Amino acid sequence: MSAQHAAVVAGVGSWVPPTVVTNDELAARLGISAGWITSRTGIVTRHHVGPGTATSDLAVEAGRRALKAADEPSADAVIVATTTPDRPCPATAPEVAARLGLTGVAAFDVSAVCTGFLYALASGQGLIAAGTASRVLVIGADAYSTIVDPTDRDTAVVFGDGAGAVLLRAGEPAEPGAVGPVVLGSDGEHVELIQIPAGGSRQPHPPDPAARYFQMDGRATFRQAVERMAEAARQATTAAGWRLDEVDRVVAHQANARILAMVTEALDLPPDRQLANIDRVGNTGAASIPKLLADSVARGELAGGDRVLMTAFGGGLTWGATCLTWPHPRPDRAN
Amino acid sequence: MFETLKQILVSKLKVPESQVTLDATQEDLELDSLAMVELAIIVDKQLGIKVTDDELIAATTISDIVELLEQRRSSAPA
Repeated sequence: MSAQHAAVVAGVGSWVPPTVVTNDELAARLGISAGWITSRTGIVTRHHVGPGTATSDLAVEAGRRALKAADEPSADAVIVATTTPDRPCPATAPEVAARLGLTGVAAFDVSAVCTGFLYALASGQGLIAAGTASRVLVIGADAYSTIVDPTDRDTAVVFGDGAGAVLLRAGEPAEPGAVGPVVLGSDGEHVELIQIPAGGSRQPHPPDPAARYFQMDGRATFRQAVERMAEAARQATTAAGWRLDEVDRVVAHQANARILAMVTEALDLPPDRQLANIDRVGNTGAASIPKLLADSVARGELAGGDRVLMTAFGGGLTWGATCLTWPHPRPDRAN
Repeated sequence: MFETLKQILVSKLKVPESQVTLDATQEDLELDSLAMVELAIIVDKQLGIKVTDDELIAATTISDIVELLEQRRSSAPA
């Protein structure tokens, strides 16, 4: 038994709200063509929440599925990574925990925009390593349709709503599923590239209501995203003791299909190593990586023994990456 | 440099080969501003040439881009 526990992936789950938004619908509203959206972003459909549905609703569904996949009835901590909490205060995680029947456990949110899931994963790993918790439910959930300007063609076509979750359990560093060293970074000099300018303490009551919408500098973000995700990926594989060409599956934050293509180009990896669901769900923010993990398992594209590299980039700026060998299904749950 | 640029445009940015001529503009080739970010990243990685996407966007035609890349390559430290 090692002095410090490793955090081992025990189950994944995901959820998207039922309403599908097509490129034709967006194209008509924005005065562009559906083909322009597809060629510019690689996105064909995305899901949006309906009125009255909040981030916690998505998080609960994904969390329930991750617990079920792990065949674990409970967790002793719940972390929600999100940019669209149900309310500015308090955090969304305690309500999610309560609705999962976990009232009483540690529960908090992590705010690192599209890198949020990896920051939350590292936080969960830390809780387990320190012995504070033995099972941590890490959820990425976002409802970007509630913060995106519906008339902004650069962001309205890219973002979708959804949630993904991973249950971490205490285990051994050498076993499949053990989360490797997590590389995290930030650069607040570029805070303005991805932001909602108002609604916080800097501008609590903006004269222009548009300042409450999510804003992104597309070109600057594109270059930063490629360079930061590629560099974090290199650092994470080195920290894990892997060569880049030993990676079987790249799970990159589903920002934009063109960004994803440039990340594999920058890493000199064949494009087919990369898993993707951006065509179907768009950029789901903090939900992106765990949703892609869950979808890939369901589609048979991610299997026990695969060496997985996860890398993400988001507002802040923030970035992160980590590696793990995907766990084999438990013998009694194998299909 | 024209042939190198042409090869990048065709293989990486999916521009039809027959359309890549010295006189063609970025607009003719349906290269948007993000394509210039992609090109800046690729020429840095493959050729070690540092250009910004703003500089590439200002280079209207393929001929202008070739000139910019050649200038930048010859002025780069050995």
